[in-house]
Amino acid sequence: MTQRYRIRWTKVGRTRFVSARDLTSVWERALRRADLPIAYSEGFTPHAKVSFPDALPVSVSSTGEYAELTFAAPIVPERDLARLSAALPEGMDVLTYLVVPDGAPKLARMLRATLWELVWPPADAAALTELLRRRGDALLRADHAEVIRHRPDGDRTVDVRPAVLDLATSLRRAPDGADARTVLRAVLRNDGPTVRPTDLFAALSHDDIAAPPTTCRVAQGEHVPEGLREALSGEVAPLVPDVDAEAA
Amino acid sequence: MLGTAPPPSVTPLLAPAERLAVRRPGAAATTPPSYWGALEPLLPQVRKPAQYVGGEHNQVVTPWQAAATRWLLCYPDTYEVGQPNQGIQILYEVLNERATALAERAYAPWVDLEALQREHDIPTFSLETHRPLWAFDVFAVSLPHELGHTNLLNLLDLGRVPHRAADRGALDPIVLVGGHAAYNPEPLAPFVDAAVMGDGEEVVLAIDDVVRRWKHDHLEAHADGTDAASPGPEARHVLLRRLADVEGVYVPAFYAPRYHDDGRLKRTVPVEPGVPALVPKRTVQDLEAWPYPRKQLVPMTETVHERFSVEIFRGCTRGCRFCQAGMITRPVRERRPETVQRLVEEGVRDTGFEEVGLLSLSSADHSAIGPIARDLADTYEGTTTSLSLPSTRVDAFNVTLSNELARNGRRTGLTFAPEAGSERMRAVINKMVSEDDLLRTAEIAFSEGWRHIKLYFMVGLPTETDEDVLAIAELGIETYLLARRHGRANKVTISVGGFVPKPHTPFQWAAQDPPEEIRRKLSLIRHAIKDHSGLKLRTNDPEEGVIEGLLARGDRRVAAAVERAWQLGARFDGWHEMPTLATWRQALEETGVDLAWFSYRERDQREALPWDHLDAGLDKDWLWEDWQDAQGDQQLDDCRWSACYDCGVCPGLSIEHDTGYTGGYRLPVLPQGLGGSDALPVTPERYAAGG
Ligand code: SF4
Repeated sequence: MTQRYRIRWTKVGRTRFVSARDLTSVWERALRRADLPIAYSEGFTPHAKVSFPDALPVSVSSTGEYAELTFAAPIVPERDLARLSAALPEGMDVLTYLVVPDGAPKLARMLRATLWELVWPPADAAALTELLRRRGDALLRADHAEVIRHRPDGDRTVDVRPAVLDLATSLRRAPDGADARTVLRAVLRNDGPTVRPTDLFAALSHDDIAAPPTTCRVAQGEHVPEGLREALSGEVAPLVPDVDAEAA
Repeated sequence: MLGTAPPPSVTPLLAPAERLAVRRPGAAATTPPSYWGALEPLLPQVRKPAQYVGGEHNQVVTPWQAAATRWLLCYPDTYEVGQPNQGIQILYEVLNERATALAERAYAPWVDLEALQREHDIPTFSLETHRPLWAFDVFAVSLPHELGHTNLLNLLDLGRVPHRAADRGALDPIVLVGGHAAYNPEPLAPFVDAAVMGDGEEVVLAIDDVVRRWKHDHLEAHADGTDAASPGPEARHVLLRRLADVEGVYVPAFYAPRYHDDGRLKRTVPVEPGVPALVPKRTVQDLEAWPYPRKQLVPMTETVHERFSVEIFRGCTRGCRFCQAGMITRPVRERRPETVQRLVEEGVRDTGFEEVGLLSLSSADHSAIGPIARDLADTYEGTTTSLSLPSTRVDAFNVTLSNELARNGRRTGLTFAPEAGSERMRAVINKMVSEDDLLRTAEIAFSEGWRHIKLYFMVGLPTETDEDVLAIAELGIETYLLARRHGRANKVTISVGGFVPKPHTPFQWAAQDPPEEIRRKLSLIRHAIKDHSGLKLRTNDPEEGVIEGLLARGDRRVAAAVERAWQLGARFDGWHEMPTLATWRQALEETGVDLAWFSYRERDQREALPWDHLDAGLDKDWLWEDWQDAQGDQQLDDCRWSACYDCGVCPGLSIEHDTGYTGGYRLPVLPQGLGGSDALPVTPERYAAGG
């Protein structure tokens, strides 16, 4: 009697530095600490049945991580997933869940697009916002936007444009009244050749904008005109963040 | 460039009044800055950033103002290597359980982060709160071997603490070293304030008491709220003097070496009134009183050992003559089986670790290892928790034991350490294993389904001839042929290292082989096994033993070379990625330290040794006799079950081996013949009766 759950979780704070290859053991141990009946694979080196649809680059934070968990016995999701959330390291929290019915499409098919967010420090916020708006609009009008991706094994040219479904730059005032910051949000396709937020930034920076100190994968799901419809909750994450709502 | 972040600003609190404020005990203290804000933006640029963030399950964070004394415990290597260290985890827990103390941890930053730290003025920091080294009262560094010495200097310098003890003032932390390499701290003497020999559990609390009282006397604010004048150098002297009164604590500044004209050491003498001429090691008699570490830290990134580890006994009496750990950790003190069982069950539940490791120097020697293994195997049968035992003893019993522990898993690899290839050589090193034992054990292991046997050997042992070296190859080949008879996929690996003589062992007088000689011997083996492509040979770079050997038996004059090597950029001396030997050779040349004189020369009986004033419990005459016996191929039995040899440990400490063997019942494992019994021994009555 196995039960499958899909959950959305966060990877923020210190845990954003945990690499994708270390994730499995971090989760396996948290599941054991929470004493949940996770199912194990067969064989001599059994592994907990926890799968993550795709790897988040190290150092990028996220409120849009997903996982699929298979339990060997039924759980009480509200209670037990809260326990899992508490057992995970600080910064990793379970946000929502969905029971997976038999025959449901693969999780990856529900995560066709990602809403990314790049945030800069308050210095030059007005000028920077203006500049990024212009460059963003130009990018959306263009057919191609080629950038060079530097890798230890050699440089590669990547066309960013086909992956960009939409993007917008705005000025976000912090709820505590601190200086406003430039925020770029973009919806990128997950199907097709991989385009990372660093590639998108390269297409916009023209070497006169500093790399954003924080990048966040906000949510994953389906592209809609206002932004992105989140895969599990169906809620829409807007392309232009609603400042008042966030302050609340 | 638009959108550039302002450089993170953390004011280094270096003015004496501010440093005094930070160091004050309790609520009167100013909390030092956290460097997390400065560090975080740099982490995306470094390898394996998760090692610097802390936040692991079971980390302890105590507010700065809630503690009278504050310790920074350090393992001077990367987090990956240092995090699993049991010593640090034990002290971490023991100190943090004390209401007045706070302990955090630090590891060495890899060179990429170190460069950024120097560029951005970020000092050595603690993992828990990212507070700077200079703010702590005690910087306690574990030195399990000699290859962390340059890292220690580097961490001090990076932490804004003068790397020479003589340059430190009352407001600098006390720099303590412990661990096996602290049994000869002379090459570090100018850099450390004190060295602690032996078990840490009790002495760390005694030191904490001294530091707390001293802070009360010298760093507490006046009752009327006015500031005390910054305490001067006398205050630091008072503290060191009080530390020297703690049993097991050695303050190098209070001793001076005297040399003969020809450069040999005459002796090391006290130069401070009232300090002991011979500093004893600390021994915790009752391991049961110290069931630590209970709340083991669970790393979020890969480390060398990811398991819940329980030390099942401390010490070893097998008396292998090359083995420093075996000599200096005597006598044997066992944990009771029910304590082991309880620690494992609670620990597995608490940490979520998938694997349990039963630790000790020679785990199969616990007098109740059979019942321990059986009970744990019963508890975890059919679960995903696996059990492991670092097996080094060569006998059939060990195979039975490993079968038991592997009930849940695959019978993959077994490790045995015959250490030498020929019967004669094994008599020299006192490793009592015959070739028949080994082959019979291998036969049993392969016939019971084990697939891979690893054999550990050393070359460069005293009196070794090429014939002895080739015997390693022959033993490897025989084992390999036997392995193949049981299955074409079976494997045998022989792992061969170069022997490094260590202090406080019968081989402390021996000449070390230079790396060229080790290399020649390794190639003899390689050549001899070349027709057996399935027999794997693993060797270390012979050069690795050079620095280790020099620092192991060096005296205070070697310190100049340590300092120079560090200044020239030597760090992570044990890492392949960091070939530091050329740097060291330059440092040796510049400082006039003669490597050959320190390492490749046999010492005679009358020569004073740099650690003669440090008492590891072993009588020097006994060690010398054993050294003579070694050269005459004389073996000694294990003193746990045969007559006492008067090695000095037990009478000196007025304690005895605390094992199930001392109760007078029949030996569960027969040492003679080393085949032992294939059946698991029954629970000794001592335990069954509950004590
Ligand atoms: S069995 Fe020998 S090598 Fe192993 S710890 Fe004991 S003395 Fe050292």
